[in-house]
Amino acid sequence: MKSYSPLITLLLAYLIMIAIGQSIPGMWQPVMLVIFYIAIGQALNVFLGMTGYVNFGYVALLGVGAYGMGVALGYYNELGLIPTLILGFILAAILALLVSAIVGGIALRLRGAYFAIATIGVNEGIKYLIMGAKIWGGSEGIVLSGILRKSFGAETMRFLSTTFADAGVIVVAIATGVVTAYILNSRLGYALIALREDEEAAKVMGINVTKYKQIAFMISCVLAGLIGATAWTLKLTYVFPQDVFAINYTVEAIVIVMLGGAGTLLGPLVGGLIYALLKYYLAIAFPGLQLLILAPLLIVVILLFPEGVVGYIAKKARGTRLENFVR
Amino acid sequence: MLTVRELESGYGEMQVLWGVNLDVREKSITTVLGPNGAGKSTTLKTIFGILKPWSGTVEYIGENVTNMPPHKKVELGITLVPEGRHLFPNMTVEDNLIMGAYLKRAEDRLEDSLDLVYTLFPRLKEREKQKAGTLSGGEQQMLAIARALMTSPNLILMDEPSQGLAPKLVKEVFETVLKLKEEGLTILLVEQNVFASLEISDYAYVLHEGKIAFGGSVDEVRESEEIKKAYLGV
Repeated sequence: MKSYSPLITLLLAYLIMIAIGQSIPGMWQPVMLVIFYIAIGQALNVFLGMTGYVNFGYVALLGVGAYGMGVALGYYNELGLIPTLILGFILAAILALLVSAIVGGIALRLRGAYFAIATIGVNEGIKYLIMGAKIWGGSEGIVLSGILRKSFGAETMRFLSTTFADAGVIVVAIATGVVTAYILNSRLGYALIALREDEEAAKVMGINVTKYKQIAFMISCVLAGLIGATAWTLKLTYVFPQDVFAINYTVEAIVIVMLGGAGTLLGPLVGGLIYALLKYYLAIAFPGLQLLILAPLLIVVILLFPEGVVGYIAKKARGTRLENFVR
Repeated sequence: MLTVRELESGYGEMQVLWGVNLDVREKSITTVLGPNGAGKSTTLKTIFGILKPWSGTVEYIGENVTNMPPHKKVELGITLVPEGRHLFPNMTVEDNLIMGAYLKRAEDRLEDSLDLVYTLFPRLKEREKQKAGTLSGGEQQMLAIARALMTSPNLILMDEPSQGLAPKLVKEVFETVLKLKEEGLTILLVEQNVFASLEISDYAYVLHEGKIAFGGSVDEVRESEEIKKAYLGV
């Protein structure tokens, strides 16, 4: 079962996407949208896919990650460019770790659907805390473009919000895939699969189910925080509480994971590709109607492939030479 | 080997066990009998730590393990065959067994454990590559016991292994339990099937409304007509 070869498929897919984005004019934007969606799917998959638990507060982790970077760039930029960026990533990770330790520590005592219910509203809670207590600019958020231009110059600001931010998203996306592959091949992965399939059975095998759930949850959340820091704060140069805690990202990430195949390495890649491309081109072809078309389409795909597209292909590929490259 | 004293526990506000006392001797089969709702499964779950004891003590080879979580108990060599088997139905028989040897201590003995398990259950060897969900009820129960063996335990707690099985298979399951004892394992069994379980047991306890009503060697339990009438309904 131990194998890192599906990682080759994953890296190849990223290379092709980047090549398409760079060589065909007008394609960079949709490619980055796809990679963003793959990344949020991949980070959620570490928890949802591996444990079977649904984290409805997922976007909150992207949000606090965005704030971590925002706070560093907005309030501590006199440190100089590189130290500030490093601080931003560290803050994003620490905030996500903190939130996940607290939320997980409390909510992971609940099983299955009760956990999902307990996590609903985590994003709203943090949003209203920031707005109500006027933390980090409150409801006005953190607007970075002026600050960045003043501290680092317009040229650097443009570089940060374009090339650097995109590269950051790609690096985090790939790192998330590598982490997933590592977990799938590790003792942690076996423990998670056991508890996903049957928590009772995992216990009698001697697995500390609470600990492993918490570890998977925290890894997933920190990765989400880093995505928020790059794909939102760096790229958009602002952080608004209404935007970074919007529940639709949670729902989209869940859809991507289920569509592609929960608990598989390549699932979020396929799910993200299908979802983001459909969303992007439907919005162009049928402006305003995209959700009306997307929703039934997703229902059909999920009905046809209950274990996700990758789950289905992996089943078909068993015994063939492709087997090692699909997981 | 296992000493349980004044154990009390329950679910939420509802108390189920009202001071359970029992002893399990090494290399013996001890059975806890009792009607539905007497607290048999609760007793096992509390001993294993899936349920937190409210009060009382559980001692295992002289060590107080009352509040130890299940995964630590597995390290010590205690395991549970849960009611309803709890297999991984989409994994093969072999993968179920390998998963059973998850702990480092068990993984080191993986080959030996597999040998033992396949000698005890030749049928599982035949069905090695078959998915666990496609096995018959009896085979699934065998696999549940086999997977428990993969943790290389000393003490096995079994929750109604005969549940839902045809009489012929019940006999087969109990014969395997007896074989486990011959392998040097200690077994604490919880059963509704009075005759079949007394057949193989060394000691028996009768649980009634969360308390031990009677306990002793199998012969004592068998001979006590009153006990039979009052609690076992035979």
